[in-house]
Amino acid sequence: MPESDAARRVETVTLTIDGRQVSVPKGTLVVEAAKQVDIEIPVFCYHHKLDPVGACRLCLVEIAPGPPRPQTACTTPVAEGMVVRTQGPLAVAARADILEYELVNHPLDCPVCDKGGECPLQDYTFRHGYPTSRVDAPKVHFEKPIALSDRIALDRERCVLCYRCTRYYDEIAWEQELTVDQRGIHSFITSQFGQPLHSIFSGNIIDLCPVGALTSRVWRFESRPWDMRPTASVCATCAVGCNVTLWERRNQLVRVTSRENDEIDEGWICDRGRFGYTQVNDPARLRVPLVAGREDSWDEALTALVEATAGRGRRLGISLPQDVTNEELYLLSRLLAGPWKGARVTLERRSLLPPPPPDAMSIRDLDACRALVVVASDTADDVPVVNLRIKKAVKKLGARLVIVHPRDLDLDRWPHAVHLRPEPGGAAAAVRALAGHELLREGPVGILWGDGRGTEPVGELAVAVAELATAVGGRQMPLYRAANERGALAAGVVGAPDDLDGCEAVICWGPPPSGRIPASARFAAVWDILLRPEHGRPDVVLPDLSFAETQGSYTNLEGRVQFVRPALVPRPPLREGWEVLAEIGQRLGMAGMEYAGIFQIQREAARAIPAFAPLAGPPDPQPEPTPVLYGPARP
Amino acid sequence: MALSKHAIEEIKGLPGRFPEVRSAVVPALDIAQEELGYLTPEAMSEVAGLLGIDPGYVEGVATFYTLFHLEPVGKHHFYVCTNLSCMLRGAEAICEHLRRRIGVSREREVSADGLFSYEEVECLGACEFAPMMRYAHAYHYELTPEKIDALVEAARAAETRKPSRAGDGSGRAEAEQPHGR
Amino acid sequence: MAGDVRASLAPGELRGSHGPARHHLLTSLFGTPDLHRLAVYREHGGYQSLEKALREMTPEQIHAEVKASGLRGRGGAGFPTGTKWSFIPGDVPGPRYVVVNFDEAEPGTCKDRYLVEHSPHLLLEGACIAQYAIGSHQAWVYIRGEYDRPYRMLVEAIAELREAGILGPRPFGVDYPLDIQLYRGHGAYICGEETALLESLEGKRAQPRSRPPFPAVKGAWGRPTLLNNVETLANLPWIVRHGGAAYARFGVERSRGTRLLSVSGNVQRPGVYEVELGVSFRHVIMELAGGPPPGRRVKAFWPGGSSAPVLPESMLDVSTDLDELARVGSMGGSGGVIVMDDSHCMVKAARRLIRFYAHESCGKCTPCRVGTNWAERTFERILRGQGTAADLQILDHVQDALQNGRCLCGLGDSAGWVIMSTMRHFRDEYEAHALHRRCPVGECRIEIERVGAHA
Repeated sequence: MPESDAARRVETVTLTIDGRQVSVPKGTLVVEAAKQVDIEIPVFCYHHKLDPVGACRLCLVEIAPGPPRPQTACTTPVAEGMVVRTQGPLAVAARADILEYELVNHPLDCPVCDKGGECPLQDYTFRHGYPTSRVDAPKVHFEKPIALSDRIALDRERCVLCYRCTRYYDEIAWEQELTVDQRGIHSFITSQFGQPLHSIFSGNIIDLCPVGALTSRVWRFESRPWDMRPTASVCATCAVGCNVTLWERRNQLVRVTSRENDEIDEGWICDRGRFGYTQVNDPARLRVPLVAGREDSWDEALTALVEATAGRGRRLGISLPQDVTNEELYLLSRLLAGPWKGARVTLERRSLLPPPPPDAMSIRDLDACRALVVVASDTADDVPVVNLRIKKAVKKLGARLVIVHPRDLDLDRWPHAVHLRPEPGGAAAAVRALAGHELLREGPVGILWGDGRGTEPVGELAVAVAELATAVGGRQMPLYRAANERGALAAGVVGAPDDLDGCEAVICWGPPPSGRIPASARFAAVWDILLRPEHGRPDVVLPDLSFAETQGSYTNLEGRVQFVRPALVPRPPLREGWEVLAEIGQRLGMAGMEYAGIFQIQREAARAIPAFAPLAGPPDPQPEPTPVLYGPARP
Repeated sequence: MALSKHAIEEIKGLPGRFPEVRSAVVPALDIAQEELGYLTPEAMSEVAGLLGIDPGYVEGVATFYTLFHLEPVGKHHFYVCTNLSCMLRGAEAICEHLRRRIGVSREREVSADGLFSYEEVECLGACEFAPMMRYAHAYHYELTPEKIDALVEAARAAETRKPSRAGDGSGRAEAEQPHGR
Repeated sequence: MAGDVRASLAPGELRGSHGPARHHLLTSLFGTPDLHRLAVYREHGGYQSLEKALREMTPEQIHAEVKASGLRGRGGAGFPTGTKWSFIPGDVPGPRYVVVNFDEAEPGTCKDRYLVEHSPHLLLEGACIAQYAIGSHQAWVYIRGEYDRPYRMLVEAIAELREAGILGPRPFGVDYPLDIQLYRGHGAYICGEETALLESLEGKRAQPRSRPPFPAVKGAWGRPTLLNNVETLANLPWIVRHGGAAYARFGVERSRGTRLLSVSGNVQRPGVYEVELGVSFRHVIMELAGGPPPGRRVKAFWPGGSSAPVLPESMLDVSTDLDELARVGSMGGSGGVIVMDDSHCMVKAARRLIRFYAHESCGKCTPCRVGTNWAERTFERILRGQGTAADLQILDHVQDALQNGRCLCGLGDSAGWVIMSTMRHFRDEYEAHALHRRCPVGECRIEIERVGAHA
């Protein structure tokens, strides 16, 4: 058996597409094989992360041997010796006809459409469509635009009914709140009885939509695609580390989209990451330090801060935002080993989980699992895109699913899921009882576990998970919550969970812990992008950079170090976090706190902290724009 | 308008008859429509809840099939075939006569008294008896204006005998249960 | 108005073949009082074929007889039944299904209803034989929702069969469980397409699936599934009793046996007629159905439901042989013969059929969803007296862009054929309407042209 498995893995098929020979793994679809040789087969309904349906019919090509009519490249697997022609008269005419059909009822409102400029319907019509229009008649109309939620607008007249959005909801997100009503020409996409979408995964349908039917209401009518400059970045709203593109215009962050990385996100992001950026552009953004409520210089502000925090030991409290970078954490670790020694440190959104075992799983490893055990975590909330990866492993790859959680979860939508419901705090016992469970007989088994949002005794649970892993030959994945929790653990900046109650001096970086600055604080410094009501009346306020202006790196929940570049230029007097921390160090009399730039910190951190070793390497290059493939042909 | 206990029990028993629960959606909606006359979002949601399926899924299915009414219909609803075989034998004139007789100006309009409506449907598979229609879970063959008059009169007469049911909007013709149960 | 609760039929409802005749393989018993009762059906030899199959034949032998019979599917595509059966994989463990396509909705087709209303057990016996032949223990009859009486008759017939133990764990004492369940459609022509039917049976929006996988491999609920039309299965009892070779003695060339033709429209005796394949449409229309009303001529006929390209009167001598129909540019289809006389307008008829296809398009694939509607609106314009030469070009273009593999299933092709065939044979009527705002037959009341309305 293993031998034939191996043989199957390497089995390739050679075929010819427009005269070019290409060898691809058996089972590859013609549409994917064409990409290998840079040949464009236009598609609407096909999407490489969704099951093919052959609905839009745009990918018709001529295939020999086969019947004397065009075939859909998106549903046809390659075969040895197959000859595919995308430029034959049947295929060229078929594509042009389909594109003409798509435009029969399309409003052709491209001048005011947010998709214009990055619209496959435009581009394909330009490259494959008829040069003239025969359409000279009233069009079919729909009520529009429809607000699917306060973030997503639907224009049914622009919709080409490729069903990517509803298929995504069904296949990937396991939700049915988006559906198709009616049939034939009157079919339309709708949210369930017109109620707003509530899924945390709703925004991906905007990226999926191949036309201007689904657009972001947050970004609607803001800017043309060609006016925006994209920057490859990483989302910092949770520990998954989904790759994103930040879109800048006039030094404002105007859009966040997914950037596919199959190691992590497979092209999906959650709505927190997609839509939660607007405060970056808030006109009330802090730009100048405040001392005693009045605008002042960095010098005065840092003088006051250093004076109040030096030598306080445990009476100094520091709260960190979840998106504190590895570089900042390294500098903090130096400060905490020096003048801030003994200070208590909290981290926004952190879990109670201990550092991971050495053989913890990566996100990609989930794909290979034959069984998954999800313990004490509402993954849709804690680690949203890992939740989608679990769904993929279960629905598309056939893994069995065991859930240990007191409440109903969205994973229960899997009809064959086995759900154990221990009382809060009882997860460890439930996990121990799983050893020998029939669903876990076939491995690899993956055990994903959280802290039950603080309800589980994590020490006991860690032991139980480790024992189960040993018993079933499985591996575990602790589900950290804070964006850079792994980085903070690696840098030793946070230890056992702590709070700041009783601290006399407090540095509140980002949102205050548990919603307020402790009453015991006689000195409070706030370091944030906005002054918030819960900050009260701090003694010192430092303006912070947003994630969109930050450079540095994060360590995601699987330990992967990922670099972020600033999409916006931080204009003075704004200063980068590492600069501020380095200056505090200098003012506190530390040696070696003079850094010429962030690269110096990265090289030093890479040497000092094993988990940060990748910081010594160069960041990934900016992705190239998608090339236009060969294959335009007009009838 | 909520489903009766009887309907709820019946719907709950449906999933067991099929390999997968989704197959029960259409029969369940059928039970709901028989009882309520047409399917409101609330009814579809209730059916969805009873089957443990998302309401959005049920909505998508219900709106696909033409036998489900999403708007109120008359208590007596006529499905008149107007496809080719019936058209060639006078279906258009039959529809015109029916419209006049029940006092509506177009398909799916409900007569002022709430008693009648009609719709023009595709081939009903009784072409040898064209023109024909389906009404009250039965086929009515070789329609003539006289036959239409008789059917409408009979319906009116039945309603006069039981005035309490008239205009309750249930759209349910008093026919035997269509399921043979 | 009380609903029709009679299960048995009135004598007036016997509009077609019945009683013994050499070529009445299906209909010879039709008209027998209470034939729908199990006892009566059995008195006349009913279920002996099933008993013979279960007791004396292996599934392979049944399959061989079906192959030898040359039987081709009576639903529309005319695919050889024996070949279809051979696609069912033999080695897949777990349940497998027989699904009976009783979603008869092709315009002009009423033969399955006729068959079941007269002899529900004929279908059920065939469905039982098919279960045994492919190793299935469960058949589903997908019946269109509007068929109230056939549904009730099948409910009663199945109850009788359960009581008699023919459906159950040991039919005729043989250890081969059989069962039949009913599933009612709810108004969608597309469910006649087999993968759409399966989607519907699974409780989904009935949109055809992309193939492969084919239903034989992955059908109902993902299981191997044999899908056959009512009439196709109803032939099995005869074939099992008399043998495939005997069946193949009827018919011609590659069209063997008999078939039911539903003859409707402008004929004096519309009805469902069982004919030996190979007889001419002239025989069917002029003799069996009595020809057009007095003083009228046949103008055209659809030989196999509205999806079969229309043929003009000059082609009345074409035979019912499926291959000959294909040669003359049409097809046998569902056996629905719609006859139109010379008092009717072809453009209006085509418009009505296009409206049907547009209404029944499921909306999944682009060409069918958009093309049928575009064509419908073009027809409307022409019949409103706003047509131009450009509209004829659009129709010509749309029909082409609906065919030739553009669409996911056959519905789009059918719509294309309606336009193509009516334009091919009756181009002059189209031009009269579109270019001269005139209906040659005088049936269409074309409004006086509003100048500039379509400029």
